[in-house]
Amino acid sequence: MSDQAVETRDLVREYKGGVKAVDGVSLTVESGGIFGFLGPNGAGKSTMVRMLTTLLRPTSGTAIVAGHDVMKEPDVVRRRIGVALQDAAIDPYMTGRELLRLQGVLHGMKRADCRARADVLLGRVDLEDAADRRVGTYSGGMRRRLDLALSLVHEPVVLFLDEPTTGLDPVSRVTLWDEVRRLNVEHGTTVFLTTQYLEEADQLADRVAIIDGGLIVADGTPKALKARIGYPLLSVVAADGSTPDDVARVLSGFGEMVPGARDGGAAVRLPGGSTAMADAVRALDDAGVRFAEIDLAEPTLDDVFLASTGRHLAGSDDASV
Amino acid sequence: MTAAVPVIRQTAALAWRSIVTTIRLPQAWFPALFFPLVLMAIFTASFGGAPGTIPGFPPVRSFLDFAVSGAIIQGVLIGGTSAGAAFATDIEGGFFDRLVASPTSRTSILTGRLGASIALGVGQALLFISVAAIFGARVDGGVLGIFIVVVIASLFAAAVGGLGIFLALRTGSGEAVQGMFPLFFALLFFSSAFFPLDTMVGWYHDVAALNPITYLVESMRREIIGGATIWTALTGIGIALGLALITVGASALALRRRLRVAA
Repeated sequence: MSDQAVETRDLVREYKGGVKAVDGVSLTVESGGIFGFLGPNGAGKSTMVRMLTTLLRPTSGTAIVAGHDVMKEPDVVRRRIGVALQDAAIDPYMTGRELLRLQGVLHGMKRADCRARADVLLGRVDLEDAADRRVGTYSGGMRRRLDLALSLVHEPVVLFLDEPTTGLDPVSRVTLWDEVRRLNVEHGTTVFLTTQYLEEADQLADRVAIIDGGLIVADGTPKALKARIGYPLLSVVAADGSTPDDVARVLSGFGEMVPGARDGGAAVRLPGGSTAMADAVRALDDAGVRFAEIDLAEPTLDDVFLASTGRHLAGSDDASV
Repeated sequence: MTAAVPVIRQTAALAWRSIVTTIRLPQAWFPALFFPLVLMAIFTASFGGAPGTIPGFPPVRSFLDFAVSGAIIQGVLIGGTSAGAAFATDIEGGFFDRLVASPTSRTSILTGRLGASIALGVGQALLFISVAAIFGARVDGGVLGIFIVVVIASLFAAAVGGLGIFLALRTGSGEAVQGMFPLFFALLFFSSAFFPLDTMVGWYHDVAALNPITYLVESMRREIIGGATIWTALTGIGIALGLALITVGASALALRRRLRVAA
């Protein structure tokens, strides 16, 4: 088994008219983790996934998935990967169980194995009760769970999930996250997940790459990416006769001040994190400075995104091609 | 395991899935059964007196005997359109991508859908013959005649299915494929599907005389109303086979093209 689940070099996909949806991506995803591929609509996420899952031929560059070249050995790759694509409309007139068994046959499994595997997977994604109902009657969350189960029929080494929770309600989203985590931990399946939700990448992924305009603009663990933004921001609002200047004088001893970050108070980048926060509170107290509000804000992936692209991710559709 | 076994199993599984989804969706099968039967009934009621009175009408026991083969061709055309639209829906909806991203053989993606079209075409032929028989129609050629009619119907079903798949692969839109339907219907009316070639006049006659559907229908019709020879049978089978080879070949090329260019 190779230790790299995905390895691409200078991968490019150019569409008609010269638009480069993916513009030279070199990416290595280690086996065993959950990799979050984050970016706004039209950033090139889906194009990337389609190339890695043999659905789309790269214009140039190479991609090795699960140890095999997607261009030279697409069939070997297909046997080793699971794919759940964005908005996969699953046959509404078939039942969940029928679709799972069909998927087994398509993967060349024996009839008895198909049945057994379908039962196991239905249990795993909690669809036993709905197994013999037509998929048309399923809720959005149930469909995604069935989609996930379908992509797992042949026990893939690498699982590709393209925006698995887009359009789902928060509860269904969390249920799916749990299932993906379980899959990764209990079965050792490497997960390559695309998302436009910061929270999803933050919650699930142990490594994140941010793609924007077909280029990777940031790549690392969520922690490292956030650390690159800087230390958490401690902001304090002055009260009861104390002035913002009083607050600032005390806080300036703890780190780099961020002027204008907090109205009616002051803010500082705190290298010591929450431990230093306790010291800061004590120092304020010792100096007799009174304050009303105090909070410590960790850098978010949105800060990372902002720093990498100059835009906020949330609700940004302007990058769509 | 030999390479052929998975292809056969995958074809059977995909054909089964196509048939099941067709049966479960009344919009998919109802028009393909209802309209041919209704037209057969209306024409039989309207032109029941035509045989023997209109010059050019072939010798036939009843107009119903005459109408059966037209109904079969019509049913297969409507069924094939639905099959093409369903294939396009698979492309639009992501089922096709799921197949392509799995080790499913590319051949069975086509043969699965074609197998379903053929099975449904055979079913239609047998159903229409049976319904007509209830109302007094008879197949002059007997069991062999029915067999030949079914063979032609199944080959024509493959031809129409192939055309539907070709259009689906090239347009990727169920609506676009469905939009071809009036064109197919016109093709049917510009043939001897409903009326004999010899009663037609002018350019209409000339167009119908060039329409391959005319010869398919005539070949089937001979088996039912009488006058069939080995040559009339082979003509029908040959034309249906030729059409099937052309459209299935075109759909195979369209699939290759779609997979190579891939969106």
